[in-house]
Amino acid sequence: MTVPIDLEQDAPQARASPAESGRTHERLMIGGGTLLATLLLWETLARSGLVDPLFISSPTRVAQAGWGLLQDGDFWNDLSISGTEFLFGYGLAVAIAIPLGLAIGLSRRLQYMLSPFIDTLNAVPRVTLLPLIIIWAGIGIWSKVVVVFLGAVIPILINTQSGVKACEARFIRVARSFSASRLRLFVSIILPGTVPFVFTGLKYGAGRALLGVVVGELYASTAGIGHMIAAAGNTFQTDVVFFGVLIFMVAGLITVALLDRLEQRFERWRPDVH
Amino acid sequence: MSTEQNFYRRHERAILGTVMVLLFLLGWEGLARGWWADALRPLLGESAERLQLKPIFISSPTLVGTAAFRMFFVTGEIWRDIAWSSFGYGLGLALAIAIGIPLGLAAGWYRRFAYAIDPILSALNATPQVAFLPLIVVWVGTGLSARVLIIVLLAVLPIAINARAAVRTTDPRLIRVASSFGAGDWRLFLTIILPSAVPFLLAALRLAIGRGMIGVVVGEVYGSAAGIGAMINQAGSRFQTDKVFVGVLTIVAVGMILVEIVQRIERRVEVWRPQVQM
Repeated sequence: MTVPIDLEQDAPQARASPAESGRTHERLMIGGGTLLATLLLWETLARSGLVDPLFISSPTRVAQAGWGLLQDGDFWNDLSISGTEFLFGYGLAVAIAIPLGLAIGLSRRLQYMLSPFIDTLNAVPRVTLLPLIIIWAGIGIWSKVVVVFLGAVIPILINTQSGVKACEARFIRVARSFSASRLRLFVSIILPGTVPFVFTGLKYGAGRALLGVVVGELYASTAGIGHMIAAAGNTFQTDVVFFGVLIFMVAGLITVALLDRLEQRFERWRPDVH
Repeated sequence: MSTEQNFYRRHERAILGTVMVLLFLLGWEGLARGWWADALRPLLGESAERLQLKPIFISSPTLVGTAAFRMFFVTGEIWRDIAWSSFGYGLGLALAIAIGIPLGLAAGWYRRFAYAIDPILSALNATPQVAFLPLIVVWVGTGLSARVLIIVLLAVLPIAINARAAVRTTDPRLIRVASSFGAGDWRLFLTIILPSAVPFLLAALRLAIGRGMIGVVVGEVYGSAAGIGAMINQAGSRFQTDKVFVGVLTIVAVGMILVEIVQRIERRVEVWRPQVQM
């Protein structure tokens, strides 16, 4: 009797999967189609002279400008400077926010002491602090590292902390009654429980960090992709501006994809508890 | 003794928080006034000088306080900046809501429409949208429209994405029940989808409030005549650190008030919303 039931259960899944793949195809086709149509419309608008290409550039012009830039040493210098700012600031934010967030989540007193500062910083759009940061750290890469750090540190901190808070009290009680040590409790229950929260914070923080790079460089800088965009905008090189925006877009997408991949790895390692 | 302990325990949060804030302010004031340098000079000798920082760099709580008092009540100069920024901010936020909510709801309801705009939405969402600022300036100049556009661009994505998620997470059983009783799309939308979307939309609004604030400051980087952001930028380039702090704190205060208002509404809606138990 069990065999036909198993077949019954398998059947809907088998039937569902072609429908699912049909949807994925539809999704790809419609999504890709819209994207292509947009590019085509953009190109024709620019070519037909309905809109001055000086204002909107065109996909082919952007591609040409991009190709030109890729052969230009200055561009690679800008890219490496922006990259350094991002990596330093974000790395520092991760290194400080995760341990501090865990500590705040674990210790009520520490939370009471620090929460006024964290809440205030969370309420400030950190880029408003740029004029101050520039007075303190100059217009070189360090002011950008600071603003990237400030942008990223708060969401990671807050999410890590709420990850600890959201830990199932039942698990902790069970572990306690089996006389787990504090360290054991931390490593085997609290830490794995916070992982999804930490990753939410990391993703959010990455967005803030990129924002910091852009705003910092638009505001005051001597090099970097943001600086390149600002300078190109001032000289009406719309194609270069678009290429710069594209670089930031790609950087954002790559960061999110990397973090997703990393999260999946952690998910697998995390024991499935129900 | 025991009542004192009880008092501490009941108010531990407030007490510890206040003490830390006071210590922070005291430390800051001391750095600017050279209290710590004076106190530690016998111990550290000349290197104690490093503990005194010029007010031009860090200002001090009292300097910020007096500057705030002057700007708000004596010269009243900040009110013009606040009014100027609020106009652009309000307009930008209103436009972002007017565009974002219908867009997101449509993307949540019509699968094909979602397929069409998802790639664009997620690409825009991954981009730091302020990177578009130089383009916006090329298109519309540096006036009010540029500031409004950058605020719209920053605030519209969280609203659209949340509205889309709101429709997607509507309980499909409710929709099935309603449609099997012959409710049309419009009826379905008004009585089921919209009410269950409201909490999502309010959460989105809270996000958008913060995002819009970034737009206020960044949008005024390019030589705006007035506005809080412009004031902060000018004060920063003239090393008027106290005025910068006043501007930043004003933005914090306005942001906190707006978020608080939205949270109040959220709580009220939470009560009003019919509790559906499954």
